[in-house]
Amino acid sequence: MTNAIQVLILGVMLGGVYALMASGLTLIFGVMRIVNLAHPIMIIWGAFVAYWLFKLYGIDPLVSMPIAAAFMFLVGIVLYKLVYAREAASAKYSEMTVLLTFAVALVMDGAVSTAFSNTQRVTSPPYATDAFIFGPIFIPTAQLYAGIVSIILVGGLFAFLQFTRTGYAIRATTQNRTAAQLLGVNVAFISLLTFAIGSALAGASGALVSFVFSFFPAKHWEWIAVLMSLVVLGGMGKLVGTIVGAFVLSIIAAFVGTYAGATWSTITFFLALFLILLIRPQGLFGDPIEGT
Amino acid sequence: MPELLEVHDVVAGYGNGPAILDGTSIKVRGGQIQCIIGPNGAGKSTLLKTICGNLPIRSGEVLLGGERIVGLQPHEILRKGICFVPQERALFPRMSVRENLRMGGYILNDRAELERRIDDVLERFPILRERAHQLASTMSGGQQQMLTMARTMIVRPRIVMLDEPSLGLAPKIVDQVYDIIKLLRDEGITILLIEQNALMGLKNADWGVVLDLGKTLFEGPAKEILADERIQELYLGRRSKAA
Amino acid sequence: MSLNPGASGEVDNVVAARRAYNAGLAATKREDRSWGFVVGFVILLAALPLLQFVGNANYVLHMALYTFMYIAMTSAWNIVGGYTGYISLGHNVFFGIGGYFSGMILAGAGISTLITAPLAGLVAAACGIVVGLITLRVRGPSFIISSIALLMIVRILFDNWDYIGGSNGLSVPVNDLDVRWTKLPYFYAMLVIAILTVIVSYKIKHSKFGLGLRALSQDEVKAESAGIDTFTYKVMAFAISAFFVGMCGAIWGEYLTYIRPNIFLIILVAANMVLMGIIGGKGTVAGPIVGTVLIVAFNEYMVYQFGASALNILGTGIVMLLTLMFFPLGIVGTLAKKRKLPRFLDWD
Repeated sequence: MTNAIQVLILGVMLGGVYALMASGLTLIFGVMRIVNLAHPIMIIWGAFVAYWLFKLYGIDPLVSMPIAAAFMFLVGIVLYKLVYAREAASAKYSEMTVLLTFAVALVMDGAVSTAFSNTQRVTSPPYATDAFIFGPIFIPTAQLYAGIVSIILVGGLFAFLQFTRTGYAIRATTQNRTAAQLLGVNVAFISLLTFAIGSALAGASGALVSFVFSFFPAKHWEWIAVLMSLVVLGGMGKLVGTIVGAFVLSIIAAFVGTYAGATWSTITFFLALFLILLIRPQGLFGDPIEGT
Repeated sequence: MPELLEVHDVVAGYGNGPAILDGTSIKVRGGQIQCIIGPNGAGKSTLLKTICGNLPIRSGEVLLGGERIVGLQPHEILRKGICFVPQERALFPRMSVRENLRMGGYILNDRAELERRIDDVLERFPILRERAHQLASTMSGGQQQMLTMARTMIVRPRIVMLDEPSLGLAPKIVDQVYDIIKLLRDEGITILLIEQNALMGLKNADWGVVLDLGKTLFEGPAKEILADERIQELYLGRRSKAA
Repeated sequence: MSLNPGASGEVDNVVAARRAYNAGLAATKREDRSWGFVVGFVILLAALPLLQFVGNANYVLHMALYTFMYIAMTSAWNIVGGYTGYISLGHNVFFGIGGYFSGMILAGAGISTLITAPLAGLVAAACGIVVGLITLRVRGPSFIISSIALLMIVRILFDNWDYIGGSNGLSVPVNDLDVRWTKLPYFYAMLVIAILTVIVSYKIKHSKFGLGLRALSQDEVKAESAGIDTFTYKVMAFAISAFFVGMCGAIWGEYLTYIRPNIFLIILVAANMVLMGIIGGKGTVAGPIVGTVLIVAFNEYMVYQFGASALNILGTGIVMLLTLMFFPLGIVGTLAKKRKLPRFLDWD
């Protein structure tokens, strides 16, 4: 029983991290209808920022998290202006845009692979090897910190979207771009801002992830599938759906990993995706698909 | 009555396509409900889109209260007082009634004033006030249209342009929608609307405009247009007495 | 009330203007195709192994074989990605299935993949049908994501399936031909498969089936309401595509003499198929060929200059990015749009 609770807590913490990782992705899809396949490599970039800041200057990854976020915010702006600005104007889903993000992912992967080689790295602040012990329950500190910070950030994102004027504008643009524009929302700017925020979230989650998982540039391919599955599960652009999906699946994956072996825990996400496509293709919270 | 909005010889089209509006001119008089009728493809929606800045004008002039508004961004034109309600639902489906109204006042800077106006509007529309926290997508077609209209009042516009407000609604609901339109007019808002159902549009309007082939063909008091035999034959589906 | 005079004369003007505009839109279709050139070129290719008499042509044969394989795979990918508009970023899952199926038979019963390849293709096609029945029910972004997820699932499964070798993979015996001719069977097999795939691709494009695919790629709902059974069409296209990719996998496995998940089931293989398809011209018949030749040449150059390093990935990404931003129709597509496509490439 205590084992189960332990696994549950681990699952929740992991869920928080995955929720943070996927939330930027969902946000970008909601506003710009872009499936940003380069999102996971942005997370890796954020992880590298935290790693090097720790290795060279001893800065704790939790402290360098806002730095990584700010850095990726700027990267997001540059990427948007260079690559996506023309596509975003029409903001309807297009395969070409997905392929664009795929190409960007390759470029960003190649850049860090060349610069830093493909060795596995992990940021190791002092608490990385600690664990919290509550009676019989044993939770690694790294997972706990990452999980809590992630949940706070996701909550913050949610509050931003629900209670600020810009948050309203973002939600409005997601739900009805034309109407938003007619009511005075500068949808081009909102697209840029959302992309930058999404990138910043990627950077922040990268900093957290850097001390939870060991990472290397090519790991983003694995995360693409996991995070994308979460987005589809949640209903393509519905933040609530993605977050709920992240927690539910991470908990299930944690149990699978414990009782069947670590290799099988990632498969949980993919199998869940196929299951959802079979039973409810529009995802948990999505709108019914035309023609089905 | 003074002319609030003047459109002079506007030429416009989509992309590189042919000109849908081919020298269209209309004058919108303040404080009235003006209805534009005409067959499909005549340019009615296109005209509204050019006025509110959504579609670039190739040549011609648009004056609001004597001031040129050609080339302005849609949100700038909104600030000048022209509000456009597009065909089909213009609401935000996963926002509540109150949130939709709040978005209606997006360009207002004073948050307190915005909340006051929202309360104001909810007072006038008890049905909406009951559903203040209900999601827009869960309301009936008529209620949604009511919300759409009510939302236009938040920014206190000078002109509200409606693209087929009765589309997809049952006749009884359509009457309610037109009651609200008249309410807006009585508040001092000028209404410019398009109706496919020419008969209904003209019956509820003060002034009528007949658009065809991108040009204004007829203009006058709605009752006169309704009574005109040529128009009845061409656009209202009545057989001419001579046939 | 004011009435514009001469309103009826306007109608004629508008109609005439509309006709002129439509005439300008209609692209002229070429009726004459230069097959002589193509046949001659194929014969030349088939004669390449003769170079072995003159000197060591192993590198040339290897590159040619590799190119033929990707021509086949990219053309096959194009049937789903180009004609049907469903971008599959994990298409090499069938490459792996075909490779392992024939590889297991070769390792166990000694029967060459040259014989079992068509069977491997059918197995891959059957898998394609099963997968397609699930994943083709959703549009665009969800489909792409499911294709990546499928690749990941199969990769993890095969990595952990000891019966077929796990992550160490499968070893198969080398054939016992003279050193000069070891590559020969695979060279001709790939050439034949490439020719077949291109022919099938051509036939599809010029058939009612292909027209239906094109319709559904533009607007699936409208195609459905026009009476096209879009779901069956999609699944069929997917199965046909999987068939050819599977056959390539089978032959490649024997050629390499080992079959491993980290060769057959890595995303870079799918990325290459996609890139070759796009740079050549997504949705055209000749595009995959042009794209394959270019990218293979580019890759070889990159390896020659910089070694097989991460710069390769960077280079591939940059090429893809530039192509998508400035030549989204690919070479064949862009030339066709500008009416400058040479006859020997115009097979659409």
